[in-house]
Amino acid sequence: MKRVLYGALFLAMTAPSLAGDIHGKVACKGVRDSADAVVYVAALPSKTFPAPAEHARINQLNLVFTPHVLPVLAGTTVEFLNSDAVLHNVFSPDACADKFNLGTWPKGETRTFQFKKECVATLLCKVHPEMEAFVVVLPTPYFTVTKTDGSYAIPNVPDGSCTVKVWHPKLKGIEKAVTVAGATAADFEIAR
Amino acid sequence: MRPTTRAARWLLLSLTSMVVLVAGIRPAGAVPVFARKYGTSCQTCHTIFPKLNPFGEAFRLNGYRLPKETEDQIKQPAVSLGSEAYKKIWPKAVAPSDVPAFAPFALNTKMTTLYQSTLDALGRQVIKNDFQFPQEVNVFTAGTLGEHFSFFGEVTFGQNPDGTVETEIEHAQLHINSPFGREHLVNFKIGKFAPDLEDGFQEMWLMTDNGVDTLFTFNPIGLNGGSGLSEENAGISVPASVQGIEFYGVALHRLFYTLGMTNGLGPGPNDTVDGNNKKDFYARVDYKFGGMGLDGDTQGKKLPAENWRETSLRVGLLGYSGDGTNIDFTVDADPNGVPLINQQDRRYERAGLFASWYFGDLNVFGVAMHGADRLLLLDATTTPEPPISTTTRTFDAWFAQADYVIRPPFQASLRYEKVRPADDTVRPIESWNVNFSFLTRANIKTMAEYRFDPRQTQNYQIAGVLRFAY
Repeated sequence: MKRVLYGALFLAMTAPSLAGDIHGKVACKGVRDSADAVVYVAALPSKTFPAPAEHARINQLNLVFTPHVLPVLAGTTVEFLNSDAVLHNVFSPDACADKFNLGTWPKGETRTFQFKKECVATLLCKVHPEMEAFVVVLPTPYFTVTKTDGSYAIPNVPDGSCTVKVWHPKLKGIEKAVTVAGATAADFEIAR
Repeated sequence: MRPTTRAARWLLLSLTSMVVLVAGIRPAGAVPVFARKYGTSCQTCHTIFPKLNPFGEAFRLNGYRLPKETEDQIKQPAVSLGSEAYKKIWPKAVAPSDVPAFAPFALNTKMTTLYQSTLDALGRQVIKNDFQFPQEVNVFTAGTLGEHFSFFGEVTFGQNPDGTVETEIEHAQLHINSPFGREHLVNFKIGKFAPDLEDGFQEMWLMTDNGVDTLFTFNPIGLNGGSGLSEENAGISVPASVQGIEFYGVALHRLFYTLGMTNGLGPGPNDTVDGNNKKDFYARVDYKFGGMGLDGDTQGKKLPAENWRETSLRVGLLGYSGDGTNIDFTVDADPNGVPLINQQDRRYERAGLFASWYFGDLNVFGVAMHGADRLLLLDATTTPEPPISTTTRTFDAWFAQADYVIRPPFQASLRYEKVRPADDTVRPIESWNVNFSFLTRANIKTMAEYRFDPRQTQNYQIAGVLRFAY
């Protein structure tokens, strides 16, 4: 019996893993730093993903949307909190986000919107025209946003072939075919 | 300075052979605002300020932006006045723009020690030996407002000998950059500015202290046509500064053009800047062979690391046309100064050729210009029309200047100017201008400049100039 158990344990440890991670760096040319690039796995054939129950959040604090770039899975509801002592508004000029307008609300209150379709939705505030953010609505839950130095890591990506894409608010996007096998490196360079 | 029909003044016709050495307000032209914005030295754009190197010229023609500018080149990020996304919903919202985050001002101070010898109207030598500390202070402002607008302003405070201060708005201009069409092709400028008609040879673009007076201050007014130089009570040779609208651009990297409309002679009797209801017009077209493109293009070019060096030839044709109808200049007055005979410059036209050759450390450039003035003499004591006489007088002015970079801190300049006045009873006016400049620091320069009339040994000026900008 013990031999069977030890044998099963040995097989489990040496069997190939079914998911890995994609990590690397995105070099953003012509902008101040390499933050705010969204790296994500494009739609996987015959795979759909249910909308998460947990809401994502964007805060309006010090006349700035935080985060500036928010990737979400299609179907996610985003909560917009006003943390400033002034009225804020959230609207999008983009048709793919139904050009929604949540109205205006004071400090401490929250409004929500469900992003159902794949889209890059620009968020604006009618009260403060300089405020800007982006909700990047994606087909898979495998995504992340780069840090200032451009580094990123997407965990738990199923092994196998996929297309990894990069989106940036100011630079031209790029994509690359990647074969995920455990820890997989993929670097990108994007420019205007 | 502009003539006025209200004042009864004599034209100083005796200034025929005298170069008027005007140590007054002059443009300064170096803008540390950009050094701060881009975190870069003045020498990125200037050889010796204010003279622009080829890159600086491209920067200027690009609406005070770096060629192919990227966000990371700007060390002082602007304050957004609206997200770029507002373009999607314009005109349901105001189009987006930005303003400089820091107040975009810079100062330039000029100190001069001047030793000057001139001849007065009676031929007596007049010596000036003067410390002018300061001679003038210039306040600059310049920058961009979003993607398609830029601005440039300069206010000069000139100290008079009696300690009073003369203030002049030398520049106040808004540029609209590439509002449509290909980048660089179409731009507009509105305000008070040095016209691009004079790109490369107006005072604000010269490394010398003295400007090309024979070109800019030749006065075409006179009983026999123009006979001398004057900034007072003068007609227009070519105007160093205009108030108008200009349309300019760069095509195919190397073709430059400009078209402008301006007030012309003034002020007018009805409290107007323009002396009459006519506008002056000007145009210029250039082509640059070799070197950096006028828009900063360097594709296919191997340029030296020393940014003042290139091998290029830029040639241009320029023209100016104006109408001085109903603008009277007094050419004869009674002992009480009451005008007896007035003159009008009904039609004045200038046509010229510009060339600038860069070869290594040497830049030789110049302008040859022909002018024609249709002058009417009018009886000021009775009904002026019909005129006493109508004549067309012509003059020719030209200059050639050589600037040489001995070593980057040390540069020399030699200029010869000549004007054959319209009044053929007076001899041509000539001058030589010799300059040695020491760029003590990128934003501090000292100059020794000697200007003299080769035909009149008592007509000269030696100046020591210190300029610093910050």
